[in-house]
Amino acid sequence: MARPRSVAGLDPDRRLRFNARRILAVRIDEVFSFDRLVADPANVTELHDMRIACKRLRYLLETFAVAFDDDLRRFIHQAAALQDILGDIHDCDVQLPMLQQHLATLPEGSDQEMGVRALLDRSRGRRDDLYSEFVKEWRRLKMGRFRARLERALAIRP
Amino acid sequence: MAKAWDVPGLTPDAAFRDAAGRTILTRWTEMMSYRDGTLAGEDIEQLHAMRVASRRLRAAMDAFESAFPAKSFRPYLRRVKKVTGVLGNARDHDVAVRRLLKLLPAVAPDERPGLEGLIAKYRHGRAAEVPRIAALFAAIDDEGFERRLFSYVMKHTGVKPSTLKPSPPGS
Repeated sequence: MARPRSVAGLDPDRRLRFNARRILAVRIDEVFSFDRLVADPANVTELHDMRIACKRLRYLLETFAVAFDDDLRRFIHQAAALQDILGDIHDCDVQLPMLQQHLATLPEGSDQEMGVRALLDRSRGRRDDLYSEFVKEWRRLKMGRFRARLERALAIRP
Repeated sequence: MAKAWDVPGLTPDAAFRDAAGRTILTRWTEMMSYRDGTLAGEDIEQLHAMRVASRRLRAAMDAFESAFPAKSFRPYLRRVKKVTGVLGNARDHDVAVRRLLKLLPAVAPDERPGLEGLIAKYRHGRAAEVPRIAALFAAIDDEGFERRLFSYVMKHTGVKPSTLKPSPPGS
């Protein structure tokens, strides 16, 4: 899992807001740094890393919201929605290899084999559907200028 | 997903160190509030809530890391990461079983043995996680980790755990 990037210019002797801006600027950039990488549905690691980056951003927005005048709830909800879809994709990406491994242990023609094969096909189809949903949601966030609006709400200068 | 607990006394104009102490202590207390339910293992959502709380705690510790000396802070962060990791293994099994149970009523009869075999396998795998989770909590207790964490946070942020008293939303 990708480690969070370090944040420059923090000063623990200053106010929460001063440091929160700097931390959130980096965490927002981390989420958007995956833009090109997640255009390929086969990039399982990158999709997982983007999910973690979304989680970090969401939890930090929840933590730091008190320090900002603007209501950050809509941004938190949008980050949560993206996180949820990526979470469902991740569940598939965890389960597909487990299913394949299990299938490999079953004797050919066994009574369990058919069900596991069908489940594997179903899970692959579900993963494809979820990825399409993610692409739509991600595009919606970008078209809705999520990043610019959030940075404005936080008074982060790009 | 369980809603995050409010952090007591966190104000818009908070000092960074003060916010660090209040947030980390609240998130730790929040996470450990799910301990008994997680160990009981009857409601998979308790373990899930604990895992989510551990991620919130990690996010807070990452965010407030600069309020603490780097070298001494890392073991505390590593311990919290271990909680997420151990709970994550169990969670993966819970998610897999839940999904299969949901699918089972609708599948063709000749597919049922396959799904039932998988459910049994995942339940067996999940059961193997129980002693690991118990060992994790036992280690936290044996090391006096909570007492050491509280003392460490108070030393570097001035926030006294005894005065904080965080509680779940709506309580």
